Amino acid sequence: MLLRASGQTHNRTYQLVAVTGAVEGDGGVPYGRRLVMFAEAVLGEDDVALARARDALMAAMGPPALVDAAGVVGLFNAIDRVADATGIPLEPEKAAASADFRAALDLDWFAVVDRS
Amino acid sequence: MVEFYASAFHPIRDDLSAAHARAWTRIARPGTWWDGNARVAIAAETRRASGCALCRRRKEALSPLAIEGSHDSLAQLPEIVVEVVHRVRTDPGRLGERWYRSVIARDLTEEQYVEIVSVVAHTVAIDTMARGLGLDAPPLPDPEPGLPSHYRPAGAKPGGAWVPWVEPAYAGAAEAGIYPNERPPANIMKAMSLVPEEVRSFFDLVTHQYLPGAVMRDFSREYRAISHAQIELLAARVSALNRCLY
Repeated sequence: MLLRASGQTHNRTYQLVAVTGAVEGDGGVPYGRRLVMFAEAVLGEDDVALARARDALMAAMGPPALVDAAGVVGLFNAIDRVADATGIPLEPEKAAASADFRAALDLDWFAVVDRS
Repeated sequence: MVEFYASAFHPIRDDLSAAHARAWTRIARPGTWWDGNARVAIAAETRRASGCALCRRRKEALSPLAIEGSHDSLAQLPEIVVEVVHRVRTDPGRLGERWYRSVIARDLTEEQYVEIVSVVAHTVAIDTMARGLGLDAPPLPDPEPGLPSHYRPAGAKPGGAWVPWVEPAYAGAAEAGIYPNERPPANIMKAMSLVPEEVRSFFDLVTHQYLPGAVMRDFSREYRAISHAQIELLAARVSALNRCLY
């Protein structure tokens, strides 16, 4: 939701489908593809792919950006666990504001997938 | 660069290094419901979970509870604590309220559960960043002696989550500062409010590893080496990979 809000502030349209990994390009976000590949590699198990993604990101954006990107990936890998383990609902205003792209990107199935 | 990442290949912001050092110090100290030994053991078990064969089989199964067995644990914690740590670490996107109720019915209090989730989350945040940077996970701290405080907020009540939480109107003096003054807290802030110290500690990490709450929506300027849009793209992609709707 903040991705879209950021785009609206700067009068830019980001391809929100990038969050599903289904975009080959940057999705309108500078270095978006490299960032997505980095996030996927950090959460994955292929250390060679991670080294490649890390090197590509650092070459494109520099060490401080790599550090901040790794920090964000780490932090949201943790926040997701807090949210899922405590069973918090999406706030009504956020649910309403994100309903269109959740439907478009078929994200609502996350809430109904086999949880046990 | 402060000592926590003194050997890091990439220069790490001092405020971020300091936040990680504080998190480690807090994990080592007696918490609210677990002592320092247990908290460090929970962090160690969080790391152990990644190599657990049972967790791997469950992750690959259509339904995780259809697979029975024992976790590959460090044998430092009760079995039910190991179950919580491993499930939260390895398959959070398929945790359900039925599972939560089942672990709470097995000699684990809601307050203990929330503190476990928090220690796992702290460890995951720091270890995942280290992996991203190609660094070894930092050594766990040595536990400090002492007893947990056993403080439960009087205003904690069942709300919209599985766990009880504290609405701002019911926050007492001991909960001061856990929520922003200028806006209603997001549910992620209330999620661990049954153990207020864990909210303070985790959001110290949030502030330095992501952004301070006051600037998350300030799109007029950038606060990091990556832009708001780049930060939010990363955050959204991670949440999608974790199948986290929130």
